[in-house]
Amino acid sequence: MEIFKKNWTAAEADRWTVHDLLASLFGVVAFLLVTVGVIGAFLLQVWGFVCVAVALLLAWLMYRIIDPKLRAMSDAFEARQAEYLDDLEKTVRWEERSGT
Amino acid sequence: MQEAATGIVFTPLDWVWTIMLILLMIVCGVIFYRLGKRSESDFFLAGRGLPWWLPATSVYATHTATDTPMWITGAIYQCGARGIWYPFFAAWTAISAFVSTRIFRRSLAMSQAEWQNLRYSGLGAELLRGWLAGWQTFMNMFVLAWVSAAMGKICVYLFGWPNWLGVVLFTSVCAVYVLVAGYWGVIMADFQQGVISFLVITLVSCWGVYVAGGPLGIVSKLADLGESWRMNPFHFDGFWGLDSGSFYAMDFITLLIMSTVGGLGMGNFIDWYPEAQRIQSAKSVRDASYSIWAGGFVSLIRNSIWAVAILAFFVLYPNIQSEAEYEMGWFRLGFEYLPAGLIGIFFAGIIAIHLSTVSTHLNLGSLYATRDLYHHYINPEATQEQLVKVGRWNTLFLLIGSFVLGLTMQSITSWLIFALWLQAAGIWIPSILQVVWWRFNSWAYLSSWIANLVMSWLVVWVLPELGLLPDLPNWVNFWLLAGLVALVYIPVTFMTKPDDRDHLVRYYAMARPLGFWRPVHEDAVKKGLIGS
Repeated sequence: MEIFKKNWTAAEADRWTVHDLLASLFGVVAFLLVTVGVIGAFLLQVWGFVCVAVALLLAWLMYRIIDPKLRAMSDAFEARQAEYLDDLEKTVRWEERSGT
Repeated sequence: MQEAATGIVFTPLDWVWTIMLILLMIVCGVIFYRLGKRSESDFFLAGRGLPWWLPATSVYATHTATDTPMWITGAIYQCGARGIWYPFFAAWTAISAFVSTRIFRRSLAMSQAEWQNLRYSGLGAELLRGWLAGWQTFMNMFVLAWVSAAMGKICVYLFGWPNWLGVVLFTSVCAVYVLVAGYWGVIMADFQQGVISFLVITLVSCWGVYVAGGPLGIVSKLADLGESWRMNPFHFDGFWGLDSGSFYAMDFITLLIMSTVGGLGMGNFIDWYPEAQRIQSAKSVRDASYSIWAGGFVSLIRNSIWAVAILAFFVLYPNIQSEAEYEMGWFRLGFEYLPAGLIGIFFAGIIAIHLSTVSTHLNLGSLYATRDLYHHYINPEATQEQLVKVGRWNTLFLLIGSFVLGLTMQSITSWLIFALWLQAAGIWIPSILQVVWWRFNSWAYLSSWIANLVMSWLVVWVLPELGLLPDLPNWVNFWLLAGLVALVYIPVTFMTKPDDRDHLVRYYAMARPLGFWRPVHEDAVKKGLIGS
């Protein structure tokens, strides 16, 4: 599977793939490193700057991996959003659901 | 010039800064009056059309409240840099951005209570929606009271004002733009309040570091005090243990799992509810994902900047024993050490922090009262004009209720801690299961809430009070409650029927949830609602 896949169809983007897993994983590690790194960097410790740099690198990788998929998914979903909103109002209607 | 009881001097220049920035914040909200009154969707979600950076700033701004620097200061002063893991729960946004945020945004539910109606069916779904709507209306009023009480304390500390004045004054100022412009006012004011507060937090913290001798001065002074371990976020008192006063690796691991894996679920953190509103206000799934991720990222950077400032405060005042005293550490760095002229900017920054939190909870509480109680149960045929009007009345109701609570807050502080327990441990796993497992039904989720209420009351309060259970460390309490509540909702899941299959299929086709949904997926394919 291509990690930096650029062209997604709407149907492909709707499925959960390894790209979602990698984006989540990189996101968590970036959060962890930036939390520790900012403390170190403000105290002028080398490890702090290294952690912040790696966190930013991971955030960039996460963006490269997930952004094309999110764009494809969003475009397809937004095209049908008005129709979905109409359905939503019917689905959650208290009177229809309770049969009164 | 005005001199407070603490000796802090406010020059005319400080007041000019303060008044100018307050006016800027109010005007920024009020000018969106026309947009806010167009519809229910505009009053509560800004028409679902915001680019990612607006809700992202709001996520950050909302979660920077006046009490936040107090309790983060408490954690860092007490535990050193490892205390940074207590506020690390903001990291739930890392996984949520690409899982639960995506699923929730696709559901299009206006609130988490409405989502219960989409995910579940029948009487159980209605009970859940009603319960969450009532609970959230109350909780938002409670949070408003809590942060207003914190503002009251700051004004007593700064100016010697009577407590009620600090509680009422700035929250009322904020209510002006929330009442007239709704969520449009909230989000636009949040943007500039978020920028102002981040700059002020950085400025004051850097000044505190400078006063304490600079970064390397802090490092060497900590070494002189024999407290170098305070700089290490991974300094633990062993892998695990049962001493409630220690910080074990298991505390860190529990907080890490809770905050990151929690991103798979919906409603397992108290923060989820305001974020759910930001998620739905984003103009697309992509914008929703980035707004949540970026808001969490900046919040963690803010926590770490605060942590360094508190290490500086520790170097300046290493022997404070009273929790109430050292919790004010960050405020003391600003008010006692900033030069004249900058104190006004600092105070304006505190007001920005306060207003951004208050505005969110006024509007969010009103959303639950209007959309999930009034619109859903009382008047389903209400016009958009009526809904906006009711939204404004509910905002006013929350404001007045929060004043009453805020002025009696001292005696009910312990109830907030209880409320947070109630929100966290026992329903943490069920809140994930409802997202990832089709068979988990409304009765199971409802039973987990009830069981959590009873169990947390027993484990955290009653049994230790009676001497039947020792005072356990947080990590043990968390897993114990998670396990005990599971003994209730797992049998309930299998003893009750699954939710209506057609209802689940409609939800699945729209939201496309992650996890164990194969039977529902197959039905959706058969019906031609989705591709294979």
